Amino acid sequence: MNLTYFRRGLVLLLLVFGIALPGWAGEPTDEIKQTTDKILSILTNPSLKGSSKTAEREKLIRQAIDERFDWEEMARRSLARYWDQRTDEEKKEFVRLYSDLLERTYMDKVEGYSGEKVTYEGESVDNGYAVVRVKIVTKKNTDIRVHYRLKRIENKWLVYDVSIEGVSLVNNYRTQFNSIILKSSYENLVKRLRERVEPE
Amino acid sequence: MKLVYRSVSLLALCFVMAPGPCTGSPSSEAAVSTLPSDEANSMAIAMESSEPSGGETPSESLPPAPPADREDEPVQTFMTEVPPQSSQPEEPAAAAADPLEPVNRAFFHFNDKLYFWVLKPVATGYKAVIPEDGRIGVHNFFSNVTTPIRLVNCLLQAKFKAAGNETARFALNTTLGIAGFFDPAKKTFKIDKQEADFGQTLGIWGIGTAFYIDWPILGPSNVRDTVGYVGDLFFDPRTYVAYYFLIAEIVNTGTWALDKVNETSLTLGEYENLKKAALDPYIALREAYSQYRQNKIRK
Repeated sequence: MNLTYFRRGLVLLLLVFGIALPGWAGEPTDEIKQTTDKILSILTNPSLKGSSKTAEREKLIRQAIDERFDWEEMARRSLARYWDQRTDEEKKEFVRLYSDLLERTYMDKVEGYSGEKVTYEGESVDNGYAVVRVKIVTKKNTDIRVHYRLKRIENKWLVYDVSIEGVSLVNNYRTQFNSIILKSSYENLVKRLRERVEPE
Repeated sequence: MKLVYRSVSLLALCFVMAPGPCTGSPSSEAAVSTLPSDEANSMAIAMESSEPSGGETPSESLPPAPPADREDEPVQTFMTEVPPQSSQPEEPAAAAADPLEPVNRAFFHFNDKLYFWVLKPVATGYKAVIPEDGRIGVHNFFSNVTTPIRLVNCLLQAKFKAAGNETARFALNTTLGIAGFFDPAKKTFKIDKQEADFGQTLGIWGIGTAFYIDWPILGPSNVRDTVGYVGDLFFDPRTYVAYYFLIAEIVNTGTWALDKVNETSLTLGEYENLKKAALDPYIALREAYSQYRQNKIRK
């Protein structure tokens, strides 16, 4: 009698958890959408419009991005074989510079968004990694396929690569960094990053 | 090459956000969302994800694509240090083969100057004069006119449904779309353009890219895609415009130039974005191009 109840309870429990488990981490697509919504609301917020509010707007957008992107993972993949050779201090610095570069470069693109239609085409999840597929329709009616690659980190899905029509951000930087390091040195790479990121 | 500039600078936008508020649909459904249109600018988003080569503006005419064999190249030098990406079907191949790098870099520099000193000023002036709808119309027109390139290459690749789609698009857009200035085939009938070019065909047939070339004026390419570019010229109606006009070469060049300027006017800012985002724009472009082409073949 006791055992039956116990078993029944166990089955029920498993059932509940079985359904709930995927929900813990949140569907990768949903999490991407969340970030997108957040950024969008910042862009369309009337109280944040205008050039006087640019700094505030950018700060908020940067926060939203920081929540979704795993800068360290991206930096590690971009440095590839040179990552392990770095000291912890160097790694921290590199992650900071790299994320600054990306944020700076792309901030104005975010602000330049002008109503392109976006559809979420699906996702695939595999053992803690996911790919969210998105399609953007431009003004010229061409389709652009974007893939977000995410990794589950403690119940959150974080992006570690974006590829557009097959062109991967991480790969692109990896090749650049590798070329620079081969031709000069890691120190030179950092110097160039600094120059780009901290010109003021 | 617009394609690649766009893809890299689009990387920017999509990297930051996938625009579009969630309209409540679960992830399993495709949720369409449109955001309020702000003032349009030269968004990198306007990417020509599929412009056939052959006669089209230099930037897009030469599609190199690291061929299938590239994926078999020993990529351990890169990959051993990178953690396994379990659900990553698109594992990056090694950097594009580039034995002519010094020469290519020189050509890259030349193209850079050409863009900033000639193409961009002209395109900016053109943009100021012709409204965007008109320029999109011109874009659609040239796209329609180059249907034979895509059609033939779809057939060569045994993509018969795609060939059918292109035929349907041509019929619809030439008639309903008034000589191709509009694209009712896509807007109303939802028939998407099927990109195909001879370089892609050769890649699908298993021919390797050999190595990267950045042609002056024409832009990034590789050996295979250069062959593809030349091949596509035979199917490009614009090549034959000359036969019907006595002032042959002038008309040909004029057509080409118009197309080039028009395309640039629609994508101003993308090249600048690529340069701004990259530490080494030459390599950024080379790799973006190579990966883009590889993706085209894989699909």
